Amino acid sequence: MKRLQRNPDIVWRVEKRRQQAVIDRLAAGEESGDEGTVILLISGMMHQLNLLGGMIWAQCDGSRTLAQIVTQLQAEFDVETALLQADVQEFIDDLIERGWLSYDQSTD
Amino acid sequence: MTNPLTEQFSAPLTFNWALSYSCNFACSHCYSREEQCDELGTAELKQIIDRIAAHQVPFINFGGGEPLMRKDLFEITAYARQQGLNVSMNSNGWLLDRAAAEQIKASGFRSVGISIDSAEAALHDDFRNRPGSFLRAVAALDALAEAGVRSTMSSVISRINHKSFRDLLDLAREHRVSQVYLHNFKCSGRGFKNREDLDLTPQEWKDFYLVALQVKQETKDLLISFDDPVIASLPGYEENPLVKGSSCGKLSLNLRPNGDITPCGFIPLVVGNILTDDFEEIWYNSPTLNKMRNKEAKGKCQGCNVYEDCLGGCTARAFATTGDLSDPDPHCWK
Repeated sequence: MKRLQRNPDIVWRVEKRRQQAVIDRLAAGEESGDEGTVILLISGMMHQLNLLGGMIWAQCDGSRTLAQIVTQLQAEFDVETALLQADVQEFIDDLIERGWLSYDQSTD
Repeated sequence: MTNPLTEQFSAPLTFNWALSYSCNFACSHCYSREEQCDELGTAELKQIIDRIAAHQVPFINFGGGEPLMRKDLFEITAYARQQGLNVSMNSNGWLLDRAAAEQIKASGFRSVGISIDSAEAALHDDFRNRPGSFLRAVAALDALAEAGVRSTMSSVISRINHKSFRDLLDLAREHRVSQVYLHNFKCSGRGFKNREDLDLTPQEWKDFYLVALQVKQETKDLLISFDDPVIASLPGYEENPLVKGSSCGKLSLNLRPNGDITPCGFIPLVVGNILTDDFEEIWYNSPTLNKMRNKEAKGKCQGCNVYEDCLGGCTARAFATTGDLSDPDPHCWK
């Protein structure tokens, strides 16, 4: 099982108020834009993830595979599974390339 | 009131936390020697940690006072680590021997900063008013390295070291320090009383920073950090800070030993208490914090072409010298 694991050196937090504001705007049918809802502090620099990215990031705690994350997100976003899968895969590939995520290859 | 800062950040990123103002030193520049404040017990400190963790503040940095004077420091630190906090501290190093370094490692400190103000032992000892303090501070750096703890070095720039700061960098290299903080001089407490002897003139500050920024650019084996917003206008300043101007009240807050919150350790304006007040009310609605986040140019800052970068420089220094948070930083050379 290839579970996704955040780099433990990265300090991060969900900005809950902003996350809720984005969710409320989406629920009202408004554009959410790419507003950051999760901040990451890496080597003194701050990076931000948008709502979808933040939700993926929060789930990469070493207990879930990519497929399991997609399944969870499917319940939150009304999009086609294949499209969601491709978006999640692209996002995760990018973060693995940056060294922010990795696959935990340990077996159960 | 809508505030871009609190729209972005739901809490500070760091609490600087004086567990105690007790100290085994009486340094010439210290802000806290005349501070008097009740101290909290271990159980209450853990309650504070619970609150900090609940608000997702990722970093706490113990200062004071000398943190190692608290007997429960390692218990508190281990508890904070269990709650997911990243813990560091600043120490004078006197009590930091090999055994303490092992406890620091075991309790989970992310890094420890040791204060050293001159590479010349006699100058450091004189500044710190404690014979032998240089050798103990250097030994503390070695003990941390032996224990596998990341160490940093904190040097307050003043009249004793502004021309010889490169020697401090060499000292850091010799003792496996990963980062050197060249702190600006604050005019608070004994620092205010002794500023005639210790503080530089605005032109000297400019000259120091021009050289120091160049050295920083040329240095690859050591991180050099400044915490002075007044340098934002200088050539060679390439930082991309998360906020403009002072970070106090924006990215960081200060905790006094009794749980009172101030914008920073050098601004003695209590905005609430972390144990007894609603933290969100403080963070979002404190008039003092919001004034610091929305400074208006006053005096020579009005019309200055770099005000948008420095936002008046160090708010603590302005407040200490004039009593007005929005006045220009007295270190400003413009």
